[in-house]
Formats: sequence, structure tokens, C-alpha cells
Amino acid sequence: MSDNTEGPHYTESSAGLMEYSAESAMPFGPVHPSLKEPEYFKLILEGERIVQVMPRIGYVHRGIERAAQDRTWVKNVYLVERICGICSFSHSLAYTQGVENLTPFEIPKRGKYLRTVVHELERIHSHLLWLGLIGHWAGFDTLFMWIWKDREHSLDLLEAITGNRVNKSYSTIGGVRKDLPDGMAEKLKTEAGFIEKRLDYYEGLMSSEETFTIRTRGMGRINQEVTRRLSTVGPLLRCTGISRDIRVEDPYAAYDEVIPEVMTSNDGDIASLVTIRLDEARDSCRMIKEAVDKMPSGDFKVNIPRAIPAGESMFHVEAPRGELFYYVKSAGGSTPERVKIRTSTMANILTGVEMLKGHTLADVPVVLTGMDPCFGCMDRVAVLEVDKGKEWSIGGEALRRYGIDYYSKRRGNK
Amino acid sequence: MVRRRVGGAVGEMFRTGLERPVTVEYPFGKKVVTERFRGKLDIDPVKCTGCSICEIVCPAQVITMVPVGKKKVGDREVDIKRPSFELFSCISCGQCVDDCKFGALSLTHDFELAVFKKESTMMRKALVLGK
Amino acid sequence: MTPVEILQLLLFPGLTFFVWLAFLFEWLERKTAARMQGRRGPVVTGPYGVLQPVADFFKLAAKEEIVPTESDSFVLRWGPALYFAAPAIGVAFIPVAGVQSILYDPLDLLFMLFILAFSTLMALMLGYASAGRYSTIAIGRLVVQYTGYEIPLIIAMVTPAVLARNLSIAGVAAAQANLWYIFLAPVAFAVFIIAALAELEKPPFDIPSAKTEIVGGWMTEFSGNTLAYVKLTKNLSYAFLSALAVSLFLGGAGGPVLSANETIQAILYTAYFLAKLFAVGFLIFVIRTALARVRIDQATRLFWTILTPLSLAQLAVAILVVSR
Repeated sequence: MSDNTEGPHYTESSAGLMEYSAESAMPFGPVHPSLKEPEYFKLILEGERIVQVMPRIGYVHRGIERAAQDRTWVKNVYLVERICGICSFSHSLAYTQGVENLTPFEIPKRGKYLRTVVHELERIHSHLLWLGLIGHWAGFDTLFMWIWKDREHSLDLLEAITGNRVNKSYSTIGGVRKDLPDGMAEKLKTEAGFIEKRLDYYEGLMSSEETFTIRTRGMGRINQEVTRRLSTVGPLLRCTGISRDIRVEDPYAAYDEVIPEVMTSNDGDIASLVTIRLDEARDSCRMIKEAVDKMPSGDFKVNIPRAIPAGESMFHVEAPRGELFYYVKSAGGSTPERVKIRTSTMANILTGVEMLKGHTLADVPVVLTGMDPCFGCMDRVAVLEVDKGKEWSIGGEALRRYGIDYYSKRRGNK
Repeated sequence: MVRRRVGGAVGEMFRTGLERPVTVEYPFGKKVVTERFRGKLDIDPVKCTGCSICEIVCPAQVITMVPVGKKKVGDREVDIKRPSFELFSCISCGQCVDDCKFGALSLTHDFELAVFKKESTMMRKALVLGK
Repeated sequence: MTPVEILQLLLFPGLTFFVWLAFLFEWLERKTAARMQGRRGPVVTGPYGVLQPVADFFKLAAKEEIVPTESDSFVLRWGPALYFAAPAIGVAFIPVAGVQSILYDPLDLLFMLFILAFSTLMALMLGYASAGRYSTIAIGRLVVQYTGYEIPLIIAMVTPAVLARNLSIAGVAAAQANLWYIFLAPVAFAVFIIAALAELEKPPFDIPSAKTEIVGGWMTEFSGNTLAYVKLTKNLSYAFLSALAVSLFLGGAGGPVLSANETIQAILYTAYFLAKLFAVGFLIFVIRTALARVRIDQATRLFWTILTPLSLAQLAVAILVVSR
């Protein structure tokens, strides 16, 4: 797992257990109060300092990619949105857009704008959740309660638009399922303004409160060398100064007209992650107001026949945690042949592990939450299946070549 | 320039302390849901024609079409089918509501769905032919 | 010990009174913290949820006690009794219903210091006997924090004794008839409150029992009856330390004498005491709710480099004031 030969050595005993020499190994998880989802980290400590971390993933593996092959295209929307509760809409958005790319249909503009609005609302809710959690792990329960109190405003908006707070079931293959209710446009603008004001207050509090900042400043420091080596995505990448955001680089939905502002920072620690996510949430409020103003009237959905033409499609979205990547392959039938999902936490887990080194046990929850882990999203295991007597697999180089060709063609067509 | 202070939350604390708390006193008070809230499924037996589309599109495979009679189509006798719902597994996604061409299905605001016996979640009211 | 004294010791203003005060303190803490966070706090049991801590106590007492095999089960089962005894005997020395306390000794302030040290030692012993991974880390942090806060706490407690020229709590309380020592030695009061937060393991110093990091701290392996008593003891020390603060800095139960009748005067004294007690308690609630948790090295840095010199300086000022 690690490529440095110094440090603690481990050997596998005959029972298959890992034993560590000299330093003590502290299991963190899979069930721990500071982890939302189960994941096993073996922390190798020297005294109270962590020198090495061995993650072991797979505790929330549910076989979703395999289950997706048995269900029709529309049924899969409901399956993939249940991969994660917090970034549920991002999953369904990436899936539906990936499938729509296989068809010759074009989504109406209003549908794209509505998707953008719900996508940004979800980003606000996810970032507020994370900000509250950082307060909670740092021991600042008051901040946690306040932020989640304000998060209820975004959740109520989501319930009013889509019918549910978490599994929104809003995107469908061809657009969105429902239009905005009456009066929602005005309500979106007032609530977005309210959340923006509250975020201003929290920014003041979280950057000045001394007992909180000494828990976040300087913690989990990473730099560009680490992120480039470990392929980090999302706010964790942007906190080292690299300005990459899928919504800006490869615009989907309505992001070519409602342009997000990419927030970066140069510090690379948890405090800068707090600032980045706060700023992103505030920017989402601004984008919601702008999208509501610019929203065109018309259809929000186009009817797409049940059988999707054969082909392969790759699509990525900027989920609140980073880049969420979907690969969809169709053989022309009513069920997909392959759905492959690469979530942002999968890309970030090694960076999160790297952030932990050198810290004491007291900082593990704060630093681990800094990478915004969503282990429910993360556990995908690559399936190489023997399908109808024919074995196929796609190698890394072929996939990379295909991606370059695919995107150059798409950009050329625009 | 970073301001460093301790206890910056105290002002907001007192302000919040004097306001009304946001806790919804469920179950002692009623929880208000929005208009579009997707709760328990309901069917209007009069409008159902037994076309079986809901059974085909349900992601959770909640609906089973059950033969409840026979009718003549041309010179053949075919079954009249009506849906039976196992609401225990229903995820309230609303796909059947969207796809029913006759508007027979709807999602109510009922969310207190816990029961003691799994059998009591079977909804069979459509099996009585509504005419 | 006359029978009256024994009754006083057990009922009022001794053990039972303070145990009910301990429950009341927990309820007040939960309620004010909740209101300041925009929530309701306990509402169901009793009017406004007043009986919630009592309900929690009985619920815990009814649960099964799970004792880990590698722990010292004798200490784990019976240690909490000793842990409870420390503040329980301490409250007998605090004057509540008048200028006299139930038990009196000319040197009982020193005995209070011993009790505080003893209860930490008991916590250490209980954590050590638990022999769990999380308990071991927690007692390490407990010892480190203890060495940090103990010295400022002792100095802050001795300062009013110097001002009163008296080493008994009742004597210090009585000597404040003209002017409360919080005005003469405010720094000592502030240091006492901060060190008391560390003793009680409340935020910002709740490192030894940090719920989000080491599960339950040194209380992790406790369950059932023993956990009920451990929690009760923590609440009792809460009330005990607040009562100490009142006696040392706020004049104890002293106040205007409004009646010649002894019983009514005793009730008035108790009312004064309770009012001051709740004021100190409220101050601690507000501090606790407003701050995050600091790390252990940051806490010790605070104690050794800031609080100890401050309290020493205050002690020097107090000696100067008294010897003038």
C-alpha cells in the first residue's frame, strides 16, 4: 500500500492478521462515533502521533453496479440516487446525463436550469452539513446546532420543489419530473438571500473564534505535490491552489450561462477548507438567484423511448465533494450493460490518509472529516464480468485514449 | 488580518436563547409537510383500467397485477387485472404516478407508516372492480 | 454527632439536598444550552422536563452492567462508590442555611483541596481499571490536564483564605459580610471558574471524555448502575464546585437579615445561597456553550503559561492587601 520502505514494518502472520512492530496500532473504525459510515483505518501510533495509516475499504459495498445491470434505465435512476444521501442528486444527474448522451435527444433549456437550481441547493445543504460537522468534531456543538438549523431552510426548499429532502428523485432521463411550484421562484430568492446572510455571520465566527481556529488552522496540511501525486478532486484539490472545477471546465446543465466562481486557497489546511466550502455555499446562493432570474419558460422534459441506443458514454459532474464520474455502456436494450461509478471520496481517500500523518489522535476526526468522506459513495469494486460467454475488459490505456477522443469530439461538435 | 477572540458566539447565543426554538414538537405537535411531499401511495379504483404499466415501471417491484375477472376482447376471453400493492417495499418515488395514463395513482401526505404486521401494508382496494 | 446533625447531613442541607441540586444543575445546563442553540432541551418528563436527569439515572440503573473481562471488575463495580463519596462528604462543609455548615473544622479548606485531588485520583483509578484502549488514552489526558489545572485551582482557592485570614470555608464565607471577595480578587474568581471547568471536564476542557474522539473517555467501559453513579457524581461535583465558588467568592449564604425568626431566616439564607449558586452555574453554562474543545497540549499551555502566573500575581496582591 505504501511505497516507503522505512517506517513501521508489517508482516502477515499465518492467521492472515497484520502485526506491527514496535509502534502500537490503533484501530479506528469500522464503527466509531466520529465516522458517519463504517470504514476501517488502522492508525499506527508512536505515542500519540500517527505515523502511518492503513485504510481498508469495502464495508458499505452493496453491489450497486451489478444491480444496475438488472434494472431498466429509468429504474436505475432511483437506484443510483440511493448511493449517497448527501450527494444524491449529483449521482442521478450524472447518470441521467450520461444516458441522455447516448441518445440523439437534447434536453430543453428549462430542464437544464431546473437541474442547476436543485444541484446548487444540494451543494448548499452538503456544505452546511460539513461545516456543522467540523464544528461538532472540534467540540463546538453550538455552531453545529446553529448551522444545521439554517440548513433546514435549504432542505425545506428541496422538499417543496422535489417532494423529498434526501432522495430527491427529481432528474429523469429526458429532463426533470416536475416544474417549480407556484411562487417558488420568489421564495428561492428570499431563502437564498437569508442563507447568504447567515453564511456571512458564520464566516466571521469560524475565522475568529480562537478555540475553534486552533483546532483547524494548520491541520491536515497538504500541498500541490501531494494532490498531483494522488489525483485529488474537489475542494480538497482547490485548497492547495489548483483551480479546477468541472462546472467551469466542462459545463453541463446550465453552467455555460450561470457561471460558477472557482474558490481556491493556498494554505492547504482544514481552515482553508472551511473557507472554501463557505464561499462555495455562498456562491451557490448567488447562482440560484441568477438561475431563477434567467430561467427560460417552456418544456422541462422531453420523452425518450425506453430502449437506449447502443454505445458508451462518460459523464462527470461536480458533486459537493468533488468530481463524480459515471461510465454507462448500452448494448441497445432496455437495461444497461455496464454502469461504472467513480466517486470523489474514492479519489480522495489516499489524500485523506496522507493528511492524517503526523497528527495526534485528537485531530483524527477533524482531519478525516476535512476530506469530507462519504464512504457510502466510495465502495465500488471493479467488476470484470464474463458476459454471455465472452470476456471483456477495458484496459487503462484504452480507456484513457477513448476519453480523450470522446471529449475532443464533443467539444468539436459544439 | 485575522481577528482572534474567544467567546464570539455569546451574543448570538443570547439572541437565539430569547427567540422561539425551532424544534418541531412532533409527535405532540403536527408536522407540516409541503404540498409535493411524497408519502404513502393511494389508488382510485374507479380510474384504474388494469393496463399493467405501473407494474412494469415500479423500481421496487411493489405492484403485482392480480386477475380478478374475465372479459371478452374480440372473440377471446382475457383476464381483467387489477394491481395489488405491497406498500412495505414502496419507496414513494412516484414513477407509477407519473406513468399512469388514467391518473389513478397518487401520493398522499401520510408518512406515519409503521405497522406491527407486514401483512397490513398490503393495499388491495383496487382489486374490487370499480365501475 | 447529634441525631439532628446526622439528619442534617443526610437530608438537608447535606446529601439529599445536594443530590437534588445536582439533578437540577444538569437539567438547567441542558435546558439553557438547548435554548441558546435554538432547540428545546428536555420537555417530556415532568414539567418542562425537570425530571429528565432523574429519569436518566433510573434508566441507567435498570440496564445491564457489562464488565470487560480484562478489567479489574472489583474496582469497576465498587470504585464508583468511593468516587461518589468524595464530593458527597465535601458538601457537608459548605454553609447553606446560615453561617454554619453541618461539619466544621478550622482547616477544612485544605480538606476540600484533598477532596478535589481525591476525586481525580478515583477517576484515574476507574479509568485504569477499565483496561480498554480508549480508557488508557483518556486517563493519560486526564493526568496531563490535572497537572495543568490543579495549581491554579489551589492558588485561586487559597486567595480568599488569605484575604479572610481563615482556613475554613464557613469562616471565609462569614468574613465576606461587608464585601464579597469577587470584587477584591476578581482574577482569582476567573481562574477558579476556568480551572473548575477543567476539573469537571466541561468544554473547552472536556478532552478526557471527548465523545467524538475517544468514545467515552475514561467512562467508556462503564454501563448500567456504575455509569448512573459516575454521572451522578459528575453532576454532584458540578454543584459542589459551584457551591465552593459561592462560599469563597460570593459570600456563601450571607445576605441581609430580614427576620428575627430563626426558621424564616434559615430559609432566606438558603434562598440567597441558591440564587448565587444558580448565577455561578449559569456563568459556567454560558462559557461551556460558547466555546469549542481545545486540544490537550493547548490546554496545558494555557494553564501553565497564563493561568498559573495570573493566579500567583493575584495571590501576591491579596497578601499585600491583607498585610497593609
